Order: sequence, then C-alpha cells, then structure tokens
Amino acid sequence: MNDEQFFTILAANTDARRGAGERAPARLKSRLYSTLIAGQTASGPLLSLPATQAAGRPLCVFENLLRVMPGGERVTSMNPCRVCHARVLAEHFESPPIYWPHCPYVEFRRR
Amino acid sequence: MQSDMPSPAGSIVITGTPQGEPLASNERILLEAVLKKDRKATAEFVTRYADPIYGYVSQRLAPRADLVEDLVQEVFLVALQKLDTFTEKSSVLGWLLGIAKHKVEDLYRARLREPESLADIEDSSQAGPVDLPGFDELIDRARAQEKTQRILARLPEAYGLVLLWRYWEEHSTKEMAAQTGKTEKAMERLLARARAHFRRLWEGEGS
Repeated sequence: MNDEQFFTILAANTDARRGAGERAPARLKSRLYSTLIAGQTASGPLLSLPATQAAGRPLCVFENLLRVMPGGERVTSMNPCRVCHARVLAEHFESPPIYWPHCPYVEFRRR
Repeated sequence: MQSDMPSPAGSIVITGTPQGEPLASNERILLEAVLKKDRKATAEFVTRYADPIYGYVSQRLAPRADLVEDLVQEVFLVALQKLDTFTEKSSVLGWLLGIAKHKVEDLYRARLREPESLADIEDSSQAGPVDLPGFDELIDRARAQEKTQRILARLPEAYGLVLLWRYWEEHSTKEMAAQTGKTEKAMERLLARARAHFRRLWEGEGS
C-alpha cells in the first residue's frame, strides 16, 4: 500500500466519526444569539415585544416588564438582554445559575 | 473492508429535508420570523442549527478546536446577512453547511498562505522509508480515529491542515496549489513532508 492509498483509506475510515453528534457548548449558543441580535439591532429596531408575544412566543419576566412600560414601540423594540445578567453569565459559563422561564439563555443551557 | 467504507470524506450528508424538496413549512415560518427580527425566532434559529454546524466545523477543523467557535460564529453572521437571499433550493441546514464549508476552506487557504506557517518546520522530506502500518490496523476504526486525532494534533499546523485538506476534504494538489498561490510542486513537497511526519508519529506510537 503506497502513501496515497494509506491516507485515502485512513481519511475514509476516520472521517465519519470525527465530530459526529458533537453538540455546541451552551455558552457558544449564547454568544451566537447575542451576536445575531446585535446584528439585527444595528440595522433597525427588533420586532416589538407585543408582536413577538402575539406570534405565540412567550416572553421572559424582564421582557414582560418592558412590554408594559410606557414609551410605545420604541421601548418595546429594545433588547433588554443587552443589560441582563443572564446574558453575561450564559456567555461565559456552561451551566450558569440562571432560571428565568422563557429566557433564551436559560433555554440554551437546558438543551 | 470496502463495504465498510463511509461516504466520501468532505461530502455533506443532510438529514431532514432533502435537497430539492420544498422547504418544510415550519422552517419557512421560522426564517420569516427571523427576517422580521423576532428575537425568539432568532433564538430558535440558533438552537436548531448551532449543533449540526458546530459538529461539522469541529469535524473539518479537528484537531484545531480553538478555531471552531469563531468560525461557527462567522457562519451564523454570514447567514444572517444573506438570509433574505436564501432561495429554498436546499434545506436551511444544507444552506448553512454550504456556508460553513466555504468558511472552512477560506481558513485552510489563509493558513497555508501564511509564510510563517511553513517556516520553522523541520524538513523531513529526506526521511528514510517508514513501514506503512498494517491494513488490519485500519479496521479498528475507533482506535484509528483516536490515534489519527492525536497525531494530527501533534503535527505542525501547516502539516495538519494540508493533510486534512487533501485527504479528508478531498481536494486535489493542483487545486490546493491554485488556492494558496503556490506551485503544484511546492504543494506536493509540503504534502510529502506532512505525510512523512505523520507516518513517523504513527509508527512511533505503535498501535
């Protein structure tokens, strides 16, 4: 067996197993989410929280607070996660001590 | 033995919605919601696709685990920027894997173009012949897998990348040379050194 055959067979026999089923760390998912939301925010306001809720997606406790605050769509389109401790913890720890229902960062940790 | 061979390395196998079929309605709804900047939909987008993209990138960049997370992030950023151009010719996962594949190849190209990645590497092209491992050894896939990963991790970066690109990604030497601005001869020499170094480590470890 020459070099070329050896490496071809080796690659064919080891490739299928590498990384197979490997799951993304929760803190990476958290960072991905924060980055995507930052990108979306940079190009204009997010979908308002009432509209988000109307689409059947439940809000976390902080988002619910923001939803009922005066200020209209300007306020309800803001991203409270930007200043939330849950985001900071989730971006740095694999099992952060955060438990708010419907918080995406909590959801990333659970999956 | 031949019948046990997996699919050709580097090919993308998509589970779920096969390519060419209409996008599943729940995927379409999710994408529309992400485009409307629904933050919860964006979270679901990450939840749904981060694992397979991470798995693919880890697989392609092994053993360089330190590069994986940044590259996955780049894939998602590109996806967000291009989401409105998604044509539904493939599944969302297939589309994301396509972006990931290009990003991985961009990284290979960039790394192998860097002069320092080739410098300070011991020239082992004159190394004496090393007996190739027995074919039977390759049958034990789990063991071969572990050993391969270990050896790739020990190789100088340029050697590891060039072997991955050539044999696991199945690019021709000519193509690799063209993409890195090197001559085909230079790429062949680099590959020869990488193979020799790999084989020495393989032999040194025993089975």
